[in-house]
Amino acid sequence: MSQAVGVSSKEPSDGYQLRVVREVLLALLAKEASHGYQLRARLQLALGPLAEALNAGQVYVTLTRLEKAGLVTAERVGQTDRPDRKVYELTAAGRERVMEWLDDTSWPKPAPAEFHLKLVAAAAAGLGDPGRLVDTQRHAVLAGLAAAQRAALAEPADSTAGLLLEGVVLRLQADLHWLEACARYWTPRKDR
Amino acid sequence: MGRVLLVCRLAVRDLRRRPAEAVLLLLAITAATATLTLGLVLQGASAQPYQTTRVATGGPDVVASVVASPGGDQLAALEALAGAPGVAGHSGPFPHTRLVVKARGVTTVAWTQGRGAASAPVDQPKVTEGGWVRDGGAVLEASFAQALGVRAGDRITLGDRSFQVAGVAVTAAMPPYPKICFSPCMFGEHQMAPPTAPPVSAPREDVNFGPPGPNGLLWVTDADARDLAARTRFLGYVMNLKLADPASAPAFIDAHLPTSLDTPFLASWQDVLYGHNKMIEWKQVAMLVSSWLLGMIALAGIVVLVAGRMADQLRRVGLLKAVGGTPGLVAAVLLAEYVAVALLASAAGLAIGRLAAPLLSEPATGLLGSAGAVPFTWSTVALVTAVALGIAGVATFLPAVRAARTSTVLALADAARPPRRTAWLIGISTRLPVPLLLGLRVAARRPRRTVLGMAGIAVAVAGIVAAMAANAHRFEEKAPGADPRTALSQVLLLMTVMLVAQAAVNAICITWSTALDARRSSALARALGATPAQVSAGLSTAQILPALAGALLGLATGIGLAELLDDDPVTVPPLWQLTAVVLGCVIVIAGLTAIPARLSARHPVGEILRTELT
Amino acid sequence: MDTVESLPIVSPILRASGLRMRYGQGSGIVHALDGVDLDVATGETVAVMGASGSGKSTLLHLLGGLERPSAGEVWLAGRRIDGLGETALARLRRTAIGFVFQAFHLMDELTAAENVELPALLAGQSPRAARRRAAELLERVGLSHRAEHLPSALSGGERQRVAIARALSNEPLVVLADEPTGNLDSAATLDVLRLLDSLRTAGQTLVIVTHDARVAATADRLISMRDGGFVEETRLTHGSTGRLGELAGLEG
Ligand SMILES: Nc1ncnc2c1ncn2[C@@H]1O[C@H](COP(=O)(O)OP(=O)(O)O)[C@@H](O)[C@H]1O
Ligand SMILES: [Mg+2]
Repeated sequence: MSQAVGVSSKEPSDGYQLRVVREVLLALLAKEASHGYQLRARLQLALGPLAEALNAGQVYVTLTRLEKAGLVTAERVGQTDRPDRKVYELTAAGRERVMEWLDDTSWPKPAPAEFHLKLVAAAAAGLGDPGRLVDTQRHAVLAGLAAAQRAALAEPADSTAGLLLEGVVLRLQADLHWLEACARYWTPRKDR
Repeated sequence: MGRVLLVCRLAVRDLRRRPAEAVLLLLAITAATATLTLGLVLQGASAQPYQTTRVATGGPDVVASVVASPGGDQLAALEALAGAPGVAGHSGPFPHTRLVVKARGVTTVAWTQGRGAASAPVDQPKVTEGGWVRDGGAVLEASFAQALGVRAGDRITLGDRSFQVAGVAVTAAMPPYPKICFSPCMFGEHQMAPPTAPPVSAPREDVNFGPPGPNGLLWVTDADARDLAARTRFLGYVMNLKLADPASAPAFIDAHLPTSLDTPFLASWQDVLYGHNKMIEWKQVAMLVSSWLLGMIALAGIVVLVAGRMADQLRRVGLLKAVGGTPGLVAAVLLAEYVAVALLASAAGLAIGRLAAPLLSEPATGLLGSAGAVPFTWSTVALVTAVALGIAGVATFLPAVRAARTSTVLALADAARPPRRTAWLIGISTRLPVPLLLGLRVAARRPRRTVLGMAGIAVAVAGIVAAMAANAHRFEEKAPGADPRTALSQVLLLMTVMLVAQAAVNAICITWSTALDARRSSALARALGATPAQVSAGLSTAQILPALAGALLGLATGIGLAELLDDDPVTVPPLWQLTAVVLGCVIVIAGLTAIPARLSARHPVGEILRTELT
Repeated sequence: MDTVESLPIVSPILRASGLRMRYGQGSGIVHALDGVDLDVATGETVAVMGASGSGKSTLLHLLGGLERPSAGEVWLAGRRIDGLGETALARLRRTAIGFVFQAFHLMDELTAAENVELPALLAGQSPRAARRRAAELLERVGLSHRAEHLPSALSGGERQRVAIARALSNEPLVVLADEPTGNLDSAATLDVLRLLDSLRTAGQTLVIVTHDARVAATADRLISMRDGGFVEETRLTHGSTGRLGELAGLEG
């Protein structure tokens, strides 16, 4: 989980998968039937610069799975100049699933426990300087924050994706605050 | 008991937190109470000196005088009056003449009356110094003696004879020097019967009236008087009449109007009283007006100080409330503070007023009644204290009510009174050099305070100019020697000094609160690139501009005031004096503001901006 | 991506060396700054981060000549300024330095436009030129429609943008900002950050003091302070969005 608060040095190459992409697609279909490309466009709008990393085929793969699970039905619509397109529609089971998702209050937490234990262990085993670990981590988080903040600044003032980026920024800020507390705790400990 | 202690402790701490403000407030209230005390004390001061003198000297109800022309029987006409209906008694006729008096380098003119050694039943002057007339020894009327600066034992020259001053005496028969007036002088509002009356100043070939000029009064022995009359070739007679009904004196005079210079000329005791009162009245008017002016300035200073403290106190009230103080406790603390200051100030004010009053209330010269016998009653003390406590009450009441009404949170947040925006002044100021720009804006931030400052200066200058106009007028017709009318100038001088002192205290109050109030904006202006010199010049300008406006306003008001108070047309003081007043005022204000302005402009910017963080 | 490194000195526009600041005396002495060295290159944005009381404001005041150091040197555009008199410092601030404060420090009785034009007037520009410049600057910070409003009628973010416009009035060599977002909520912070970022892009030299990591993150260089000294320096490169997706909770 500590990965969630840092930016590793390797460049992302294989793109991300949205954990909740199924639920999102179902929810987007709740009002009216829609084409796959329309669904993808709406996702891209909501994610802004983060959508670049979203795997292009993921929406279609997921839709196919949903169809198999009986949560959506697909209807082929003929097109004159192109291959036929599918229009997806929500089933009753799918609707039920959407409602469950909306009511779900679970909140993915970047729990500090792992990093905390890492520091404790490092100090106990004499393996490393917890102060330095904190510093390194802080730089990583700071770099992430810088990236997110700049991305946020690049968004127009009322963009949907901007809201997401603000969320990222504020969380990283909270992580930084906590890391400061860690630094305060571990730095004098080191001196003793 | 513990509560009272707590209130006292909080009050003392608050006063000590801002000692300069407390001192200024004390000064302002002291000035107000001192002025009030003076005004009250002096009002009762002038009551009865003339009556006292009249009783003590057997003052006449009517004074008749006539010029003796060769071959005329004017003496008979005088003696006929003694038997006229309504006359209850008389003294005289006494011979008199009019001659040049030289004493201690002063040359003037005096009526010299011949008296016997025996005391006259009517108008026996009361000797206040030395003895009564003897051969070669003259007794001078008190105001005359004072004007000449002579005392018993000095030598004076009457005409061409040398006399010793045997004594000084007061009389109720004549007004003071230089308004002594016997026939052929016109007196008061009474005129001769018109048809036969010759022009007053017309010289008559057969009579020598003596030298022209202002008149004093002195007494010599009968023999000396006749001798002097022979030398000056001018003889007249005076007779003092007692009427059965003193109130009917004017009617008696109307019944015996002179038809020519050969018939006796009459003056009533009311005319004499008018002459005396004129002088007292003038002093009193000067005093009364000055005390009003002083009171107004003091009030302006108090308003500025109390208003300046208000914001600060509101916040303290919020603090006290936040830690559990009830509005009642809060009000009690405020009240305790102001009451302490007010009581101290009223005690100081009463003392100052009591000490200064004799300086101003010296009885009219030429009458009985001693200086320093100023009525100083409990009612005066009570009234002065009540006024001081009233000021304390109002100063407490306003913030206490506001504080009780505002919520604790708001009171805490109410860091400072928001400044006013005077858009047109700000607009004008952009076109001006930087110090003026800053100064105008500082002045415009607190228009009420600026107006109060201006009003204070205007009132002080008005008082000074009125005093100067009155003085100029008195001096224009001044008689030789120390004309008692110019004694008024001492009063005016004292009042002027008090006005200036009070206006200075006021200016300091205003500058002080302005400098405090403008701390943040001054620091900010400096952070934005204004130099300390520009900022301090700006702060000074903020006081000097209103002071200049106030001084000019005061000039006009002062001349108007003089016009209003004096029956005679005003004498406008010379231009150089007026210019000096305005310039002096501006210079004094500049001097007074320079120090706080410089101090405030030297304070490190960083520190101010740091401490003013919310 | 991110590297901790010492910078080559490129014609520093602002430079401080051995800067110390003490307040008080005897046992009550406070070492607000304890030997600080700093070079700021032209066009660079430097953020100074640190907890409250670590000496950030003191540093900024010394750099801007609002206070004089107890020891050390401050150079601005090749000129040593720590020994200058108050008047010379004021002239310098007028032309070379723009201040932005946490508490905004606008004049309450002046409208936004009047606040912005004030430094130009103090610098002796004509009222018309000053007003024109103010209009330009308000346009730049997106507050043209608020020009005639008093500060009390503006939101916190708007007030700070007015204050930034004011700081830019005389085209300063350096803008010094002390906790510019300290009194602002998240949305207003973003507005101010956008504005500061546009200044950075336009080549304005900026020194921003803050304890808000978001503000610091937009700088070219980040300096951390503790107890009156610099403890570390980070160079932040701009460009890649990095693993933003991961940070946002988009899982691989
Ligand atoms: N005028 C002063 N007198 C005494 N101490 C001061 C003064 N100004 C600042 N300090 C102290 O200097 C230290 C640094 O303050 P400051 O620069 O304002 O910190 P920061 O801006 O990082 O919060 C603090 O400990 C503060 O208490
Ligand atoms: Mg600070």
